Amino acid sequence: MSRIQIEGLTRRFGQVTAVDHVGIDIPDGDFLVLLGPSGCGKSTLLRMIAGLTPPSDGRILLDGRDITHIPPRDRDLAMVFQSYALYPHLTVARNIGFPLRARRRPRTEIDSRVETVTRVLGLGELLTRRPRELSGGQRQRVALARALVRDPGAFLLDEPLSNLDATLRTATRAELTELHRRLGSTFVHVTHDQVEAMTMATRIAVLNRGRLEQVGTPSEVYDAPATTFVAGFIGSPAMGLLSARLDLVDGGLYARAEGVDLPVGPGDPEDGARQVLVGVRAEHLALVAPSTAPLRGVVRLVENLGSEEVAHCLVGEARLTVRGPRPLGLAAGDSVGLTTDPEHVHLFDPGSGRRLVRTPTPVTAVQS
Amino acid sequence: MTTSRAMTAVLSVGETRRPVLGHAALAVLGVVCIFPIYWLYATSFRAPEDIYSLSPFPWPLSGANYATAFQVLDIGGLLLNTTVMAVGIALGQLLTGLLAGYAFAAWEFRGKQLLYLVFVATWLVPFQVTMIPNYALLSQLGVLNTIAGVVLPSLCSALGVILLRQHMQGFPTELLEAARLDGRGSWATLWTVVVPNLRPALAALGILLFVNAWNEYFWPALVLQRSNAVLQLGLRSFMGSEGNDWGPMMATAGMACLPVLLLYLVLQKQIVNGFVRSGLK
Repeated sequence: MSRIQIEGLTRRFGQVTAVDHVGIDIPDGDFLVLLGPSGCGKSTLLRMIAGLTPPSDGRILLDGRDITHIPPRDRDLAMVFQSYALYPHLTVARNIGFPLRARRRPRTEIDSRVETVTRVLGLGELLTRRPRELSGGQRQRVALARALVRDPGAFLLDEPLSNLDATLRTATRAELTELHRRLGSTFVHVTHDQVEAMTMATRIAVLNRGRLEQVGTPSEVYDAPATTFVAGFIGSPAMGLLSARLDLVDGGLYARAEGVDLPVGPGDPEDGARQVLVGVRAEHLALVAPSTAPLRGVVRLVENLGSEEVAHCLVGEARLTVRGPRPLGLAAGDSVGLTTDPEHVHLFDPGSGRRLVRTPTPVTAVQS
Repeated sequence: MTTSRAMTAVLSVGETRRPVLGHAALAVLGVVCIFPIYWLYATSFRAPEDIYSLSPFPWPLSGANYATAFQVLDIGGLLLNTTVMAVGIALGQLLTGLLAGYAFAAWEFRGKQLLYLVFVATWLVPFQVTMIPNYALLSQLGVLNTIAGVVLPSLCSALGVILLRQHMQGFPTELLEAARLDGRGSWATLWTVVVPNLRPALAALGILLFVNAWNEYFWPALVLQRSNAVLQLGLRSFMGSEGNDWGPMMATAGMACLPVLLLYLVLQKQIVNGFVRSGLK
């Protein structure tokens, strides 16, 4: 139905480059979440797909057709705005029917489509109300219904959950996922909330300062972050990063720094003496006796999350967090020893911030 | 219980005193505003021989002044002419204000700021400066002595443009964008999304423009040399070199005020809304 290809898309506002050569291929039926902190260009990117902001450079293809310079109404895309943008002077029914009336569809078709969509979203009793008489959640549904009624090729959602309270947000998240499963349409969803991204997306595109950092499934992005930015942005608490130097000892690589002597797996001679950033997620760290631990530090703060505790530790000059069932048995000021499996250690290049990938050594036994 | 009751009492005394003072001040102001209008109608209902009486109530009531006014002037015709003129000017200014305000608020185009400044600047040009060129132009067009001649140069007002642009800038951009995505063009968006949501502002501005046009004296006097064309000029008939004929003049003035008062009564809610909102922005 709708595959969206974005090629080298750029948008400059004066001196500022809001979106910088972004390229993503969104296959039909994908639920792509554009994730990033505020000001990372994710909304600008969505608005360029919608046709509301003209790109400075690059192309947008919809099912192979170049739509870069096609006006929004001819793009076969529907958008749900952060503020919902419901027409205040129209009833719910007329709000939902608005896109069809604008396209001069026959009255009977409009009525039946509005009827169908409102039934699907459970809006039947609200049809004669005006937007100001609706709760936040109801407004959100009406906005969604107005997008659905056109049966567009793809849905663009600009932080549609950010104005809902926490309980409603969780419920709506599940509903949106269900809706996507049922419709099978392409969804592009903008958010700064990593939980939304992890739970709803089939793929996540992480943006930072207008650049695309990584595109991948939620597990790929979480398990193998492509950059230190992604590593720090996704996951709560954030992945701890510490600066270290690699040493090759008997074919095994060790990350070494003050308080750090951590085996990170097998390596090649050229990896020795290389400076790296070492990242370990909080749940992959385990407590061991401080005297022999590969990571030695001091507990700065222990947070109680109810079922779990998170201890913030200082190892050398880096902050590492460790997470475990309550009680962890740690208190601020304690000396702490931490360890982890080499497979859970992420290595990044300190200059570019990009992930260092271990290529299989030529002498692996697997081949024989 | 006792303590809390006592406290409620103390609070209520303190809280009622201020509103009483406020209301008293507002009442005085209200009287000051209403008194001249009351005096106008009171005078118009006095018998012709009591016209200089200072009694606050016109008693016995007399319709003689109205009868005289109707004899001297074609009140019906004047009302019609004045209405056509005022409605024409108000609608014209509203329409041009709407279109220009929409362009300034919702569109991006080269020279927008400059053009807007020029618009604002025309507001600062005194009427006396444009009066003669306008008159000469009307004379060339051959529309002197006609209502059209009064209306034509007043079809665009900078005030309308400025106020409507201000209102439209406060209009949520996302609504305009939603309409664009939903398939409305710029023109259709103006009429199906912007105008219905600006109704209070449009009503308030419409009234303001109507009242301005209705009360206009000098420009119609210049263009319509016949004295009996609009109500405000009709009033001149009662001014003479040997004194003014106050009774019929007040009666005519009273009738001239009526349409404006009626309009206000009908659209009161919208007007108040419009001014309150423009104040909040």
